Amino acid sequence: MTCEQVREELVACWACVDELTFEVVEHLEQCDACRREAVLLRHTRVMLHSSMPPLSAPVNMAERVMSRIDEQAHSAGWLPRAREWFVPRRQPSWARAAAVGTALALAVAGGALWRSQRPDQSAPPSPPAVVADAGIDGSAARTATLDGELDELMLQHQRLEMTQPLADDAGVSLVVYTSR
Amino acid sequence: MERARQGDKRAFGQLVDEYKDKIYNYVARMLGDPYEAEDVTQEAFLRAYRSLPRFRGASSFHTWLYRIASNLAIDVMRRRKRGEPTFSLDEPLEGEDGEFEREIPDETFGPEEASTTRETRIAVRRAIMDLPEKLRDVMVLYELQGETYEDIANILDVPLGTVKSRLFNARNRLKEVLEELVEAGEIEVGQ
Repeated sequence: MTCEQVREELVACWACVDELTFEVVEHLEQCDACRREAVLLRHTRVMLHSSMPPLSAPVNMAERVMSRIDEQAHSAGWLPRAREWFVPRRQPSWARAAAVGTALALAVAGGALWRSQRPDQSAPPSPPAVVADAGIDGSAARTATLDGELDELMLQHQRLEMTQPLADDAGVSLVVYTSR
Repeated sequence: MERARQGDKRAFGQLVDEYKDKIYNYVARMLGDPYEAEDVTQEAFLRAYRSLPRFRGASSFHTWLYRIASNLAIDVMRRRKRGEPTFSLDEPLEGEDGEFEREIPDETFGPEEASTTRETRIAVRRAIMDLPEKLRDVMVLYELQGETYEDIANILDVPLGTVKSRLFNARNRLKEVLEELVEAGEIEVGQ
């Protein structure tokens, strides 16, 4: 046997005397370098075990794990809990499929109901909203459509307030209503 | 086991009791830090509890649990590589009276083996921690945890031949480190 073959055998069993073949033992008796290698390997194994001795898990490890499980169960958000309720653990796949199907059916029914409650889009448009402005000078109320003209009214109102200071009891009102 | 799968928490608690030392030791040896190992072990059991309903029993429970712990330990090691702070077995701890060394009990060997110096043990431990993750995993599982080749192949999801070759390489690397220590005169090896 060559030194290389012997060393492979030595590493494979940590040079354990009981596991060495006759050929390897014979080689070791004649080869100082391989014998040294065998001794080194046996020491490596001892060092490995003495450097990494077994440890005991902290005494209350099991209690801590169980309390964390309890904590997580209590602090779980509404979504996981709803999921657990709707798709409980250990359900077979057909039950999950049924649950998903029910959810879809409910969504479709809800959508249909919502559409039926909406005003008819084909009906003639309602009259535009009007704004009545009771001006401070008592002038007749002017009407305007809400889009754009409301902003104009507000601007005019602000200008009036700035240029004509009001008495404490002067009532200024901007009434916005919509005709139905 | 079956009761735990059905959601019986007490039954799961018994499983935790049964496997906590094994998993804790494995993680501590992989990470080189017993304190970090405590968190990772707890997390492994929590994940196992959450995934238990999906456990089909294709592998044994202890193999499955090891796999969860292995993935978590590898995550921690990758975070370390990204430079996130971690602890080490060799770093002194901060106490009220200043720094002190971590005491790791040696329950395996008698006085003659235990007489290896602290420096040697630290050097060997560093050598183990310096092994690439894949070699260290196999080394820890086979040499220190006492798992079989077949179980390790299942845990790491690699072929049996890969387990054996990784173990061979890991042993060789450790032997080389020891050789360096001998040559540097730090330890003596008799014939």
